[in-house]
Parts: sequence; C-alpha cells; structure tokens
Amino acid sequence: MERERQKVVVDDVTVRFEGALALDGLSLEIGRSEFVSIVGPSGSGKSTLFNVVSGLLRPTSGRVLLDGEDVTGETGHVGYMLQKDLLIPWRTVVGNIVLGAALTRGVTSRDREEAAALATRYGLGEFLDHYPHALSGGMRQRVALMRTLALHTDVLLLDEPFGALDSQTRLEMQLWLLSVYQDLESTILFVTHDVDEAILLADRVCVMSGRPGRILADLPIRLPRPRDLDVLTSPAFTELKREVLHLLHSPAVPA
Amino acid sequence: MRDFLRRSTVRLALAALAVGLIFGIWNLVIFAFGLQSYALPTPQSAVGTIVHRWSTYQPLTLQTIAETAYGFLLGAAIGFLLGVLMSTSRTVQRLIYPTLITSQAVPIVAIAAPLAILFGFGLLPKLVIVAWVVFFPVVVNVLDGLAHVDRDLVNLARVMGAKRTRAFLAIHLPATLSPLFSGLKIGATYAVTGAVIGEWVASAQQGLGTYLLTANASLDTAGVFGATILLTLIGVASFLLVVVAESVATPWRTRSTARRGVGSLLRNDEGKGARGWFGSLLQSRSR
Repeated sequence: MERERQKVVVDDVTVRFEGALALDGLSLEIGRSEFVSIVGPSGSGKSTLFNVVSGLLRPTSGRVLLDGEDVTGETGHVGYMLQKDLLIPWRTVVGNIVLGAALTRGVTSRDREEAAALATRYGLGEFLDHYPHALSGGMRQRVALMRTLALHTDVLLLDEPFGALDSQTRLEMQLWLLSVYQDLESTILFVTHDVDEAILLADRVCVMSGRPGRILADLPIRLPRPRDLDVLTSPAFTELKREVLHLLHSPAVPA
Repeated sequence: MRDFLRRSTVRLALAALAVGLIFGIWNLVIFAFGLQSYALPTPQSAVGTIVHRWSTYQPLTLQTIAETAYGFLLGAAIGFLLGVLMSTSRTVQRLIYPTLITSQAVPIVAIAAPLAILFGFGLLPKLVIVAWVVFFPVVVNVLDGLAHVDRDLVNLARVMGAKRTRAFLAIHLPATLSPLFSGLKIGATYAVTGAVIGEWVASAQQGLGTYLLTANASLDTAGVFGATILLTLIGVASFLLVVVAESVATPWRTRSTARRGVGSLLRNDEGKGARGWFGSLLQSRSR
C-alpha cells in the first residue's frame, strides 16, 4: 500500500469542540524526510491539527498513522515545538536540551555530552551553563529546537516556532533551520502565518481553509536545495508566493 | 564581585540610615513631650539595658530563638506538604482549603490557651502555635505556584512521553521554590510573634515573651524595650536567613550561569549533585 510507505498519515480527522467543528475530515500524507508547511488564516485549526498529530488531543473521528501504525491519541512519538520557547528557567542550556531524557528515563552523562555537542555545533558553545533568561529570543528558540532534536524522534512538529521573533532574527533562524534540516533526516510539519517562511523552508505548502479546517491546496515547492537568501527573490519563488497568497485570500477562505 | 560588594555596602548603609532615623525620631518624641524614662526610655538606654542585662537576656533569647526556629521549620514542612497534597486533586483542595482559612480566622491568642492545656507547658505548644501562623502563607504560595505551572509546558512534557513522577520532580517541584520562599519570608516574620504568644500562655521555661510580661508588670519599661528590640532582631534575622537560603536555592533568579554543583541538584545529575555541591564549596573556600 502507498499509505504504509508514508511517514505520517492523517486520515479523515474530524475534531469537534462542544459542537463547533474545528477540523472537518482532514487528510494529509507526509513522506519520509519531507518538510511540509501549513499556512492558513487564524482559527483554521492548524494548532488543533498539531495537537492531534502529537497525540495531545484525541480526534472526534479519524486516525493518525506513524510509519503505518495507528498512534491516534498517543503521546511520546513526535518532537514538538511552539512559538513560546517553554525553556525551564532553572535549567541551563544543556539542562533544557536534555529535558526529554530527564522526563522519561533519567539523564546520563552521554545525554549531556550530546547536548553540549549539539549546542556547540549550532553556535551556543559558550552558553552551555547559561540560564535561559540570559539568552536572546533567537538563542532561546534555538535551544528549544535542540531540545526537540535531542528527543531523537524522526517527526518534528513546529508550530510557528519563529512567530515571536523580530523579522531580522526570524530570517536568520529560517536559514539556520534550513541548514539543520539539511543535516538531518527528519520529517517536519511546520505551521506558520508567514507565506515567505512557508515556501522558503518546505517541500510542500498546504493551504488550509478557515473554520472548519480543511486542506484547500497542496503545492509542491520545487526549489532546489540547499537554499539560501537568494531564493527569496527568485522568479520561481515569487510565482509560488503569488499562488499561495491568492489561495489564502480567495473568497473561499474567509479571514 | 566588586560590583556586588559595592551594592551590598550601599544597601547596608541605607538600612543603617533608616534605623538611625527611627532612633532619632524616637529621641525627638521623648524630648518634645518631655516623657519620663519609665514611660518611654530612649533607644540608647534600651540598647544599654540589653548590654547590662545580657546574662539575663542571653538564655531567654536562645530559648525564644529555638521556639521560633523549630516552629518555623515545622510550619514550613507542614505547609509545603499540604500544598503539594492539595495540588494533586481539586476535590482534596476543596476539602481542605475552607478548614485552612478557618484556622487562620480563629484568633491565635484565643486558641493558644487550650493548646497549652492539650500539649502541656513545654516546647510543644509553642512549636504548634508558631507552626500555626507559619504554615498558612506557605500553603497558599506553594499551591499558587503549582497551579500556575504553564499548561503548555505540561503539554510539552506529555508530548515528550514524560513519566508522572519525573515530570513532577523536574517541572512542578522546582516551580514551587520561588513562591515557597515568598511564603517563608512572610512566615519568618510572623514566627516570632507566634513564639511570644506561645510563651505568654504556656510558660514553664522563660523566654523573651515571658520576660516581657514580668518586666511590664513591674514597670520595668527599659527591660520591656530591651526584650522588644531583641525580638525584633530575631524576626529580621529570620527574614534575612530566608533571603540567603533563597538565593542559594534559586541561583537562576540572580545569576546568568549555573554555579557548578548547586544547579546540578536540579539538573538531575543522578546523585552527583550533593558531591558536586560540596566540591564547589571546598573550591570556593580555597580560592
């Protein structure tokens, strides 16, 4: 079956909150090591979709498959990162990166070494013993992503991870994420409001409709990797951006 | 370090200045209203009394300190455990909370006497009274701290597949520290009052509280003020001790990097924490 070869399958998922329909029979398939961006108006149920995939929320109906296995309503299978960095103030950079181990089986010195190596590799080598409050917003989000990477789950859900950063830092972080993605074999599901960000990072951009959330369009992004700043001003990029913007602001998508 | 010393000096100087001002106003009042020393002694003579009668005051002070300290620790422990217990379920919280509030509405002076009848005239009734006034701000603050743990953080822990006890130790328990210390600061200043009330109703051993009563009865105003100053000092010292303990226990509030060791107690170093902490103590000594 084609489906079994997919990394993540969201199968006809419907979520109803006290009568209101948040997701309406949404289906989505994500291939191995694929980077999929999801854009849509506020309240289109993007975060609800994430909560379903992460297992935090059991859908009213429908299933979530991971490597062909039904994991509907089960947590502990995917990495997860939000706009809020959720770093723990009393843990250092390394302490925060190893949080996953601390919460599940206990931290070993190997975890710490690996966390230190990760932080060093991605430019935080001088901040291993720093508390989060002493870091800038961009650095904090980087630590949050490393915490997600250290879980060693091959699916990462990133829910507007750079939404709270200023545009300069955001662009820096996007380029950084591109390079991290290049190093990994992770499958990434990325929610954002930012059309540029969605296209720059992803292999596919899914455009969601307003409430109840459905997928309006699924556009392949065939920009060559590795990508850099120049992609943002290329004609192919502009053409894709035009298409996404039209979809987002078409009459079918009430903002 | 130099910066820290300078700031501490300034703070100390300002605190001394405030004490000086209060003593000045005190003297001024005595002068302006022509008060006799049996009505209001000068602060100098009150302090002088402490020095002159130190052999009398010393055992009394130690006794009152002991009551305050043990009662405080007892109250803090009860308060913390109750807070954690009440946070586990809404039902438990609704069951216990009204009783706790009622316990604080009961005038402590009124129940002190029955407590003495129950627990005798030894140390115990005083500990109970001190604990009685200390535990409440601790419970309220710990409960508040546990209730305000970020829901998104709790969800994140769930997504990570957290074990319940591990999540409690790594996320919830440390989150109680800052509010716990807010409660302890309030408790530390109340504790001395509790000890004095305890001594007033249940006094087999002499303490500063009992001394206050006898001095007052014999119009020994200087003695009263001497004891009062000592009691105040115990209260201030308790508060400062809590502040110091807080800065040791919550280094992330004042520092940008972890002290090796102390931080590791919270960083889950699997038992290496205590050794590391001790090691860092030795290191900082030798430096």
